[in-house]
Amino acid sequence: MKPRLASEWLHSCAGCEIALVDLGEGLLELLARVEIVHFPLLMDQKYAGRAGEGDGPELPAADLGLVSGGVASEEQRAILLAMRRSCRTLIALGTCATHGGIPALANERSQAAVRAGVFADCGPAPAEAPACLERVYAVDEVVRPDLCVPGCPPRPEAIAAAILAVLDDELPATPAKSVCETCPARREGRAATRSARRFLDNAEYDPDEDLTRMRCLLEQGLLCMGPVTAGGCGGSGPPLCVQVRVPCRGCYGPVRPGSNPLLDLMNGLAGQGVDRRSVVDRRSLLRFCGAHGLLRPVAGPR
Amino acid sequence: MNSKLRIIAFCCNWCSYAAADLAGISRLAYPPSVRIIRVMCSGMVHPEMVVHALGRGAHGVMIIGCHPGECHYIRGNEIALARAEVLAETLEDLGYEPERFQLVWVSSAEPERLVEAFRQMHDRLLRLFGLIEPDPAAAGGEAVP
Amino acid sequence: MPRTVTIEPVTRIEGHARIRIRLDESGAVDDARVEITSLRGFEQFVIGRPAEELPRIVSRICGVCPWMHHLAAARAVDGCFAVEPPPAGRLLRELCLVLAHIPDKLLHFFFLAAPDFVLGPDCDLRVRNIIGLARQEPELAAQVARLRRLGQDMLARLGGKAVHPVAAVVGGFSRPLGRDERRQLQADAARLLDFALFALDFARERVLEQCAAADQPGRVRTGFLGTVDEHGNLRLGSGRLRLMRPDGTSCDFAATDYGLHLREHSDPWSLAKTVYADSWGEGLSLDPDAPRGVYRVNTLARLNVCDRIATPRAQAELAAFRARFGRPAQATLLHHWARMIELVYAAERVGELLADDRLLDRDVRTPAAPRAGRGVGHVEAPRGTLIHDYATDERGCITRANLIVGTTHNVAAMNLSVRDAATRLIRDGACDEAIQNRIEMALRAYDP
Repeated sequence: MKPRLASEWLHSCAGCEIALVDLGEGLLELLARVEIVHFPLLMDQKYAGRAGEGDGPELPAADLGLVSGGVASEEQRAILLAMRRSCRTLIALGTCATHGGIPALANERSQAAVRAGVFADCGPAPAEAPACLERVYAVDEVVRPDLCVPGCPPRPEAIAAAILAVLDDELPATPAKSVCETCPARREGRAATRSARRFLDNAEYDPDEDLTRMRCLLEQGLLCMGPVTAGGCGGSGPPLCVQVRVPCRGCYGPVRPGSNPLLDLMNGLAGQGVDRRSVVDRRSLLRFCGAHGLLRPVAGPR
Repeated sequence: MNSKLRIIAFCCNWCSYAAADLAGISRLAYPPSVRIIRVMCSGMVHPEMVVHALGRGAHGVMIIGCHPGECHYIRGNEIALARAEVLAETLEDLGYEPERFQLVWVSSAEPERLVEAFRQMHDRLLRLFGLIEPDPAAAGGEAVP
Repeated sequence: MPRTVTIEPVTRIEGHARIRIRLDESGAVDDARVEITSLRGFEQFVIGRPAEELPRIVSRICGVCPWMHHLAAARAVDGCFAVEPPPAGRLLRELCLVLAHIPDKLLHFFFLAAPDFVLGPDCDLRVRNIIGLARQEPELAAQVARLRRLGQDMLARLGGKAVHPVAAVVGGFSRPLGRDERRQLQADAARLLDFALFALDFARERVLEQCAAADQPGRVRTGFLGTVDEHGNLRLGSGRLRLMRPDGTSCDFAATDYGLHLREHSDPWSLAKTVYADSWGEGLSLDPDAPRGVYRVNTLARLNVCDRIATPRAQAELAAFRARFGRPAQATLLHHWARMIELVYAAERVGELLADDRLLDRDVRTPAAPRAGRGVGHVEAPRGTLIHDYATDERGCITRANLIVGTTHNVAAMNLSVRDAATRLIRDGACDEAIQNRIEMALRAYDP
């Protein structure tokens, strides 16, 4: 009997599912090893019972479940609980699931205020639409996932490796430390400027020279979040954003569980004598990890 | 006697820790809410330690270092100051009241100043958390556990 | 007795939706609607952010078409900061835009739509999907997976990542293209074009005749919105917006004037807004016998509004399509046919862009300074016309954002199509799984 796979997507954008599909032929091999019992993007299994009604919806039992997206509505919460009940092993897939992701930027205001604002120019917020929770939550704030695979999106190979580890009953690979671990940029160990600079012009580099000759983007003042972000986006290769000469913005979430990337980065800047007031909208540096209480409504300017 | 408050005070070895020692020798009482943690320099206190302390139940956190220009490691207290500014913003972001954290300069010869800083923090937090406690100094000025 | 049939979740689409059908006492369809069940609130939580950060934030609106949001945002921020990218910057962005259409269309056609036609709309749901298709046609499935991956790899090489790219920046692109890179991309683009032509032939043989059969469920008569250049050729990048009425007459306007023609409306039961053609002066009505103000975007719309396509193979296909179905063609399932023609266009156009030597210029970005301003960025995403409208303050931070995404333009038409399909397929209250799937097919054609 093939192991059964289920997948659901909550407050998500489908990017994690596309990353899985981007495996290419590897996807077909993977899909042939499992029996898919529920996967709205790819096949037609419907809910038994209604999401948000009673304990609904009912989902078929599965050995392995993938859930992407954070939790922001009653219905999403119900679906997540159903996934936890019906899947023996549950993987929280992608940074939205593990840390709230971009949609958790809404946590700087109440969700009700966000919703009202979206509809402000054409009427009241839809009264019969699914009820929202007061903020966006990560998956582990609602249920206990067995494995977390961050990334926005995670690398196709990392998703496959996590799935195969569960199917083959092996330990998943240890994640890399920080983004800097695989970054070849040239570090001098100190900031080049006393002021952070906005990414309004390209970094300083010679396009004819490779990455090892480019000065570290954080040292250039571009607020590269490499040191405070979980590594692995480029596999064992250079970080993906740095490869195209763009500073990291932290899409794999904090470098270790419970750390606050903004605090860590600002602390690093403080130690280097970089003026903290040169950082515009500092809280947007938490754009990928606004769940777990890291982003909340705060009065006053940014 | 005990206090319902818990204040973590990171005290630099060269100034405030020595001042606390001197305060003890001089029989100067300070509130039992203060728990001192010795560090070699105020500049070595990572802001995350302050956030962690508050998250684990400390009502207030203090970092007490040497006066500007007097740091044993030359610039450590400058770094402490820069970090304290970052911390103030972070605590605001995380919803903590600003009065729960304070950076203070004290020299090893200023035990009264140290004790006064502790008492003021203690009183401030009593007001913030709506607590009432008898003043330990009024009970005879003895520093008893 | 009256009851409600709920199809939930709608499957093999790119987002979250359910269909609710109300049946009267006799089991006939009284009303049917598409409820979009997800709202993240991007328009609100981007307020206050430095505008140059937006391209990397708003790509997360959609993981299937992140390049579209990324590029529309870059264009809108260009407008706010009043910068114009140098030619190489513009070309690199357009290359990525057109290239991104290819894996997207391959995904939709083969993974999501084709199973209904190749395997049959009534076949067992455990088979009626990409896995079933792969079992029946393993060689084809392998090719699809391989070539789709190739397209994504090309995008990753250009923009850092295929999903949630980072290289489009205010003022242009983050890095120039090297000569060897271009050569490799050209070789890969040639493979994509070969496959696009093969895919169209396959589609014609196994799928499109079914779509072309007369009077399929999902029938609706609407206007259309798309983008053309100054000669009336199909454009996926910026150009003039063309809004066509159901009778085929049209008017062109600049993207910045979209507010004079289109208006947003909200319903209490859906988290998606509805957009209608305000400039027609007839308001909005979803009365299936007399719809008003309704227009569609997406592949069929783009083919309808353009006068011609500027690449040879796609133009030949368009001419044949038009000779057979007229202009504008209305049948909903023809979206699939139009999608395959656009696939060929995109592959041809990628080749054209790669051959342009200006692409190799070292100057790819104009430096920008923050300022108060307004910018409207618009592209033709696979799902339809995408508009990002931003305003900034003197610190260059967003004060206002209005986003009209492709599918939102189609909300009204999708409701009408689903209603038509439900009305014609449900008799005496019978709505089994197969009938539900056929109703979903009327929605799936829009690739929402």
